[in-house]
Parts: sequence; structure tokens; C-alpha cells
Amino acid sequence: MRFRLPQRINLVSTILWGLRIVVAVLVLAGSWATLSSGKLSPDAWRELVVFGIAQGSVYALIALGYTLVYGVLFMINFAHGDVFMTGAMTAFFVARNFGESGFLNANPIVALLIIFAVSMLTSMLVAIALERIAYRPLRRAPRLVPLITAIGASLFISNSIRGIYGEQSQTYPSIDALQGRLDLFGIPILKTQALVIVSAVVLMIALVYFVERTRTGRAMRAVSEDKDVAALMGINVDRIIVTTFAVGGLLAGAAGILYALVFNEVDWFMGFLPGIKAFTAAVLGGIGNIAGAMLGGLTLGVLESVGPFLLLGGANVPSPNQLRDVIAFTVLVLVLIFRPNGILGRSEPGR
Amino acid sequence: MSVLGTPPPSPMADVILSVHHLTKRFEGLVANREIDFEIPRHAIVSMIGPNGAGKTTFFNQLTGIIEPTSGTIEFDGTSVIGMAPHEVAELGIARTYQNIRLFADMTVLANVMVGRHVRMKAQWYEAVLGLPHVAREEAAVEQRALELLDLVGLPRRYADDLAKNLPYGHQRRLELARALASDPKLLLLDEPTAGMNPGETRQMTDLIARLRRELELTILLIEHDMKVVMGVSERITVLDYGERIAEGSPEEIRANPRVIEAYLGKQATA
Amino acid sequence: MAELISRRQLRRVATIGAVAAVALLYLCMVGLIEAFKDRNVVTGVITLGAVMLLAVPLIAGYRAALLPRDASASRLAAWQRVLFGLVVGLIAGAVLGVFVVIASAVDVRGVLVRISPPLLEFLSFGLPSALAFLAITGLGGLTGALGALLLVSPVRIRNAVTSAVIAVVFMSMIEPLLRPRLEQLDYTAISDFVYKSHGLTEAAAILFLVVGAVAAILWQPANDLVRRTVDAAPVESRRRIRRWAIGVLVVAVLILPQVSGTFLAQVAVLVGLYMLLALGLNIVVGYAGLLDLGYVAFFAVGAYLTALLTSPNSSLGIGLPFFVALPIVMLGAGMTGLLIGAPVLRLRGDYLAIVTLGFGEIARVLFESDALQPWLGGVQGILGIPSPFPPRIDLDLGTMHIFATGPQVLYYPIFAFCALAAVFAYRLSNSRIGRAWNAMREDESVAEATGVSTVNYKLLAFALGATTGCLSGALFAVQLGSVFPGSFDVFVSITVLAVIILGGMGSIPGVILGAIVLIGLPELLREFVEYRVLVYGGVLVAMMLLRPEGLIPNRNRQRELHEADSEEEQETLDGDLMPQRGTS
Repeated sequence: MRFRLPQRINLVSTILWGLRIVVAVLVLAGSWATLSSGKLSPDAWRELVVFGIAQGSVYALIALGYTLVYGVLFMINFAHGDVFMTGAMTAFFVARNFGESGFLNANPIVALLIIFAVSMLTSMLVAIALERIAYRPLRRAPRLVPLITAIGASLFISNSIRGIYGEQSQTYPSIDALQGRLDLFGIPILKTQALVIVSAVVLMIALVYFVERTRTGRAMRAVSEDKDVAALMGINVDRIIVTTFAVGGLLAGAAGILYALVFNEVDWFMGFLPGIKAFTAAVLGGIGNIAGAMLGGLTLGVLESVGPFLLLGGANVPSPNQLRDVIAFTVLVLVLIFRPNGILGRSEPGR
Repeated sequence: MSVLGTPPPSPMADVILSVHHLTKRFEGLVANREIDFEIPRHAIVSMIGPNGAGKTTFFNQLTGIIEPTSGTIEFDGTSVIGMAPHEVAELGIARTYQNIRLFADMTVLANVMVGRHVRMKAQWYEAVLGLPHVAREEAAVEQRALELLDLVGLPRRYADDLAKNLPYGHQRRLELARALASDPKLLLLDEPTAGMNPGETRQMTDLIARLRRELELTILLIEHDMKVVMGVSERITVLDYGERIAEGSPEEIRANPRVIEAYLGKQATA
Repeated sequence: MAELISRRQLRRVATIGAVAAVALLYLCMVGLIEAFKDRNVVTGVITLGAVMLLAVPLIAGYRAALLPRDASASRLAAWQRVLFGLVVGLIAGAVLGVFVVIASAVDVRGVLVRISPPLLEFLSFGLPSALAFLAITGLGGLTGALGALLLVSPVRIRNAVTSAVIAVVFMSMIEPLLRPRLEQLDYTAISDFVYKSHGLTEAAAILFLVVGAVAAILWQPANDLVRRTVDAAPVESRRRIRRWAIGVLVVAVLILPQVSGTFLAQVAVLVGLYMLLALGLNIVVGYAGLLDLGYVAFFAVGAYLTALLTSPNSSLGIGLPFFVALPIVMLGAGMTGLLIGAPVLRLRGDYLAIVTLGFGEIARVLFESDALQPWLGGVQGILGIPSPFPPRIDLDLGTMHIFATGPQVLYYPIFAFCALAAVFAYRLSNSRIGRAWNAMREDESVAEATGVSTVNYKLLAFALGATTGCLSGALFAVQLGSVFPGSFDVFVSITVLAVIILGGMGSIPGVILGAIVLIGLPELLREFVEYRVLVYGGVLVAMMLLRPEGLIPNRNRQRELHEADSEEEQETLDGDLMPQRGTS
């Protein structure tokens, strides 16, 4: 039963229609101008798309954390972006050490695996601590209370990291084996981007296997259906919720390293924007839906990479790349307003 | 036997609510099918039926919370189809809820005063300027709210307590006071005695009868407790699987074989 | 004989000890200790950094002594509780001690940038490793035991000690306010008695300890006396007392910048700007329950509109007088509120929060972008906003001489607007409109069915909140004389939210207190600036966990008029038939 708001309020529907029309006109006019000007070569477009997929798979991994937590608790874990950040920041010191000692280039696979492990474990521990300290006492509180807590936790975590590791940004050492391009079906792809995409796909497959096939995964789904019934069936709901946060943390930690591979630089504030963008991706795909989060992440990644050039490049807007965040946020706003259930979303359970 | 002090409505009493061919479908499920329904002014009418018969859906359509798939609802000569709930409230329909829904973190008095909202005139800019007529209206509404607490039997000393801290029976009374605050012409009560013991139930029944008498209300109630239904209502409508299967006086309903079948299953009639 | 300590108690004590240890390490690693280790509380005796470190085992010891709530708890002797405190303190101290020993031997600064040699020297009292470890552990244990001792001691002593310590710390913290002013007014003797090389003198510290303790001891009886007197007074004189109290408050607010000098006036101006923002956001979040995280957008719109309309250097270049521009700014603000409010009307609470956050970020990026640079000035912003207020006031009123410059002047219009906003908000909250908002916050669909047009009331909340926010923005632009996009990031929204949450959502006194504490106090502690956002985050979490209603909860309107007659009206028509619980 959907709560119906009156359709006849003119002001509101006028503004909404105005918004639709403005966006449609901007998108069409911008794309037309760019495509007809032929400023970018097909190769450049392909480059943008591949980059978009790479960054989109990072978003997707973070988005999975939002979606998993939303699935069991129906709350937006606003601090998830900072969980992602702590992993990448902590693992940086390991990576730097490996880089300086030469271990990184002598043994890139082992070194990378260790770096991944450190990042994933750190993020997992932070996620677990977050659940235990900040969220568990508020499980039955009104909806806004855990959300405000999450916002506070986000600031607290990011500024703690700023204090502990310092506020300057750090550059991950580069790995010789990952320099250059890979020829994939005739398309040259940067090796780092290929690695990012492949790792993300592997992790997603692992996650789907975990949720669909294992006992814990099934319990997780039961908890997301109905916590009380799940508890009656003998499922330890608290443990499942912690597990969910832990899994989300592991994925976020991995995403942190992939982010570092794509963008090289990490700092204490890096969780904010990717966090919000990943949340957008999760909503875009339908929050609570695992496949949706992956799809949403990729979609947003590509939109954000191609969008500024496609929409603004032809209109001679100065420095269109400055406005890429506007595109991400506009997608966020439009999706939430016009399609809050997302592409693959199930309808809102309960009230 | 009737606990009511008033005689049944005279034949010339006009109709306050008339519903024709009301149908509501939810994705293939028919919650209400072609319901025809009328309430004479100043009557107390009950709607009964097994769980899932479509009673609450019917209420939700009357109050504009959900829009009917087809059919008409006319209240006091005005069609309420397509109206927003707050417009329906302004028209003079107030309701209570099966599972009490108060404004939990507001005081008892504030809850009742919110109920008066549609009858108040103060605009925001008048309130900001603190105009004298706003203060007068506030004071009058506060007085009225206190009187309503008296009327429903909620002691005034609870007036400043938060609604969530009231005992259960008082919460029901408060919900009733909130509904009455808007001076409704039609009061919809969704299981007003749910969860009450026999003593409380009897008090509530008396209260309903007295409200009609003193406030000249028309009352439609959904109820499971047959004693309440038979005791208080002049007419009863029975829903089953979204359809109206019977309508009549309490005596007629008691004797109606379809009703007995709906409630007790086929064997009972055999 | 019963065992000294049960297994369960042992586990709890160990847990508290571990938490305290983590807290100590956190304080060191995050840099708070390093930042405050040279800030004297009592010169030559103790620094603020030391106070922070000692507070951890003290509180932990107190908690540990409070702990055992199982059946055996009542039989716990005082010395057992003190023992708990001691153990907790020892654990915390030992962990920190080990850390200090390790960090002195191995350089960890590559990772933990704040663990500097001066910090380590401060922590170890300059002692060699083994001795330092013993000293830290011992001090921890001692402090923990002291915390426990506080718990087992009588309430009056506990309050006196707490109050004495707070008095000393507070007096040392307000030094940057007090000292220059005292010297400026030629009270050098007092200043020299109280302060010595950035800290209290020993004599002054003892004085404030005594004052604090005496105040605490007298507080309870004095408070009782006042309360009894006021309660005994008839309604009429109670009103008069209240009116007097308000009058005194108003006078205090009016003469504050005169007494305090320019520094405090500067701080007060900042507090006032945030107070105005918080009063506006309070309508949206506190009354209507709509969590708006993009509130900074309105602040920015107000500032930029003012800049565009009044600055001759702006792209419009019309240079309107401020008070002509102000109505236009507020109108524009209200429209922006509607424009942002309308699309988000249908959204659930948490989605609304994120969408408004998105709006706020879009606004900031647009203000910053090169694309809109010709109109909004890009990163350089807009300069040359004229102030409508005189730079200085110099009045000779015979007996009184009023002289004010800069912030001392700006202080008055800002607080006038704050007072106006507070009165308006108060009136709204106690009217039909405020009730409708609250009802909507509690249960949207029931509010709608009760007759509240939720669409209209949400829009109204957004529009009024936006107007107030814009007003603050306009004053901000005037105060600075220029606007830059950098001033309008998401942390402004978060700060304002923290102000409301700390004070109490929907509570005007709460908002005022929140602004003073969260905006004013950090200005007194220069070292603190870097940790502001950290603390705001901590405040949000802690308040939600411990006291979600805020420091001064919104009290629903008290019906003082009806207190007198409620007695005889208890016997209602059939209320006596109901079983009644309690007599609250």
C-alpha cells in the first residue's frame, strides 16, 4: 500500500517536470554538440569507456557494502566510504615498505596479495568496530538516529586517520609489471585497469557464491527478509549482522587497493566522494540488490568518465572535468527522485 | 436490546455517505469488489467480516489514503475520489487506527490540538507576528482540547505527558479525542476495542453511543467483537473476500445464513 | 570468605581496562596530546595534554567501580571497588607504558606521524625506558583508583571535586579572552596574579579550586532555596521574575562586546552567524523532521546573492545598498528553498538526507567551476562587498562612553537577527504550524489523515529554513567583505547539524547553547582548530548513543495556566472507571 501524495499540487509537479525537461534538453543538446563537433577520436572515447569501467568496478565493490548492510539493517551506512579509506591508507605503508625494499617488483604477485590482505583486514576490523560501537545500540531507534550516527562516525574515522597518518596525500609505489598495455581482442587496455576489472569480477563472483551457496549466506538472506523470524529459526542475528559488515569491509578494503591502482594517490579524505558515488551506484541498481550494485557501479563509472566530455565538451565549457562530480551528483539526485527503487530494485519492504 | 438511549434513525433521515460499485485491485488481488454502501446521517453502522475481507482497505479509500480502482464515494454531496487525505479530513471525516497511531513524542494535549488543525485559521506569517487573534485561537483550541479529554474520559492530569507514556486504554481514548477534535461529521473507528478487557470494552461501547448522542456524529466502525457490534450498531454490513455479502439490522445479520457461513465455515449451515 | 573478585567482574574490569588503553593510545596517535602538551593549565604543574591523559584512567576507574550490577554488587565493599579502579588504571597505564618503551626504541614516525620525540619525552617524564614504564603504569593505577574513590565517596565531595577541577581548567582556557582585556583595562595586577606564562599561577589555581568546590557545595541548597521561593510565589510575581531574568539577559548580551573587547566580539560574531544558521536548520530538522544535509547551499546562495547585488565588482555590478538587497536576497532564498524542497518531498528520510547532500555539493562545485566563472567569480570569488554598518562607533553620552570597532559593531545586527529568528521560531513552534510540523515528523501519513497538508508544510519548512540560512549568508558576506566558494563546503552543513544535535533538536535554548559550545569554545583553543571536525563527528555519535534528545531537550509547552485547576478536574465523566497506573 503506497502512501499517495496528491497529484494535483501544481507547484510541485511543475518543478518536477521542469527538472525533467531541463535535464533532457541539456543531455540532448550537449551530446549533439559534442558528437557533431567530432572533437574526440574513437580511440579517445574507448579510452574513456575503459577507464569508466575500471573506476566503475571500484564503485561497484564499495556499493556492495552499502547494499549488503542495507539489506539486513535498512540503514545507509554513511561511514562506509571511510571504511574503504582506512584500508587503502593503512596498506599504503606496507606498499611503501615493499616498494623501498624492492620486494614489490621482485615478487609483485605475493606483494600485491599481502597488500590486499592488509587493506581488507583493516577495513574489515573498522567495519566490525563501527557496527559494534555505533550501530548495534541503535538498532531499534527511529531511522534518522542511526543515519546521524553514521554521518558522525564518518567524520570521526576520516579525521582520526588524518590525525594518525598525517594529512598529506600519499602516492602508492608503481609496479613495473603493471606498466604498459595489454592487447585484449585487439583493444589495448592499460594493465592496471585490466587488473582492476579482473580482481573486481573475481571478488564479485566470490561474493555471489558466498551469499547464494554457503550456510552463512543463506542466513544472511533470511535475516534480510525478516529479522524476527530468522531469530526464531535459530539464526544468531547479531552474528549475521556483524558478518555482513565484515564482508562489506573486506570488499571495501579490496576496493581501496584497486582505487590506489587506478588513481595512485590516497589521502584521508578519499572516502567521501567515492562513498557517495558508490551509494549512488547502489541506489541506481536498486539498493539491497547485489547484482544491482554491480550494474549500478559500472553504469555510474562510465557515465562519470564519458559524461563530462559528451555533455559539455562540444559546448566549449571550460574544464569540463571539473564538473564530473556534478554529473555524479545529478545522477544521484535524479535517481533518488524519479526512480528510488533503482533499475533492479525490489519494492520497499514494510514501511 | 439496545444500550442506546436514542431511537433508531427516522426513515426520512438523509444519507451522509454513499458508496457505489467501489472496487480496489492490488496487482491482481481484488480487495474490494463492487461495494455498495450507505450510511444514514446520525447512524452507527458497523462493518464486520473475517480478517482480510477488505475492511481496512475500504476505510483507506474513504479517507483518501488509497485511490479506488473504480466506483464512487460521495460524502455529504461531495465526491472524495482523488482528494488528498488532508482534504478529506477537512471535509469532515476523521478516523482512528486498528494499531493505535499517536504522535508518540508529543504531549497528550498537543496530539488533540493537532486534530483540530483543519479547523484553525492561523497562517504562518500571523503566528510569526504573534497577532492577538492567533493567541485567542490557541487558547480556545486548548480549552476545547481539554474538554475533549474530559469527554473521552482521559484525566486532565495526563495532558502534559508524552503520548507514548500513556497506558494502553488511555492511548485509545486519546486517539479518539484527536479524531473528535476536527469536529467530524463522520467518525471512522477501526476496531476501537481491540486489546481491551470486557470492562474497558463496555466503557468504550457506552462512550461511542454517547458521542453520537452528544456530538450528533455519524459513526462507522470496524469491529471483531460481536457483542460490541450487536450492542451498538443500527445497521451492519458484512464483507467477505472483498464483497458485501449481507447488510441489515443486527437481528437480520444474526440470522443470515451467508454470514454464519462466512464466519463459521460451511458445516455450520449444513 | 567470598572470592576477591568474581570471574565475571574480572572480565568486565579487563574490558574497561582495554578500552581505556585504546583510548590513551588513540589520544597520543591522533595528535591531541602533542597539540596540548605545551598548553599550561597551571604553569609548571600541569598541562592540558596531561589533563586529557589523566582523564582517561580517571573515568575508566570510575566506570569500573560503578560496574558490577549483578546480584553480588550490593555486597561489594568500597575497597573492592577502589581495587577495580586501580586494576583498570594499571592495565591502561601498562599498555601506554609498553607503547612508549617500544616507540622510544623504534622510530615509528614514518607511519604514526604524531609520535614525535618531544611527545615521547613528555609521556615518559624524560625517564629511561624501564623507569618510564613503571611511572606511567603507576600513575595510571593511581588515577584509576582515584576515579573509583570518587565514586565511593559521598555525592557532595564528588561534586565538589569535579566542580573544582572544572573551574581550574575553565579559567585557564579563557585566558586568551581574559588576559588581554585585563591588561587593556589596566588591571595588570589581577592579570599577573592569575596568569603566568600562558597558564594559571599556583596561587590562582588554589583559589579557583576552592571557589569551585565551595560553589558546588553551596549550589544544591541555593538552588533549592531559589526553587522553593519561586514555587511559593504567585503566578503574577513568577512572571515578573521571568521578565526580570530576560531583561538581565538582554542587557548582558548588549554590553558583552563593550566589556569583552574585540577578540570575544569576533568570536561572538561567528557564534551568531552559526546560531542563525542553526535556528533555520532547526525548523527543517528539529520541527519538521527533514534531515537536510545540504543546508550550506542556502548559506552560499545568501552570501552570493548579497555579493552579486551589493558589490560593484560583481558581474551584475549594480551595487545596491545592503538593506535594499536584503529583501531580494531573502525572496531568492525562499524560492531556492521551494526549488530544492519540491523534488525531495516524496523521499523517505534517509534518501532525503543524501539528496540534499548532493544538492549542497552540486552548489559548491558550480560556485567553484570555471564554467560559471564569468558570473560567480570561480575560485577567486567576489570581492568588495560594502558593509552597511559603520566601521566604528564613538559615542559620548556624558557618563557613558561607548566605543566600538569592527566586530563589536557587527555583533549588534547579527544578534538582533538571531533574537528575531529565535522569537519567530518560538512562536511558530507553539502554534498550529509547529504542531503540524511535529505531527509530520512523528508519523507522516497519520498527520496527513489528521488534516495536515504534508506537501505544504514541508515546503514551508524548507522555505523558512532557507530564508534564515540565507540571512546568515548575507551577514557572512558583509562581515568578510568578500565571498569564496571554499567557505561553503559540506562541513558547514555538518557543523550546523552538530550544533542542533548537541543542543537538542527542536529546542531553541538548545540551539543557542550548542552554537556557543561548538563554535565558541574551539575559538578559545587555537590548538584545537585541526580537531574541530573530529570532535563534531564524535559529538554526533556520542549524542545519538547517549542522549539523542540533546543537552536541553525540547520541552513541550508547559501549561502553567492549568496547573492550578487540574486538581479538581481530575474526576472526569468516566475516567474513574479506567484502571489508572501511576500518578505522573
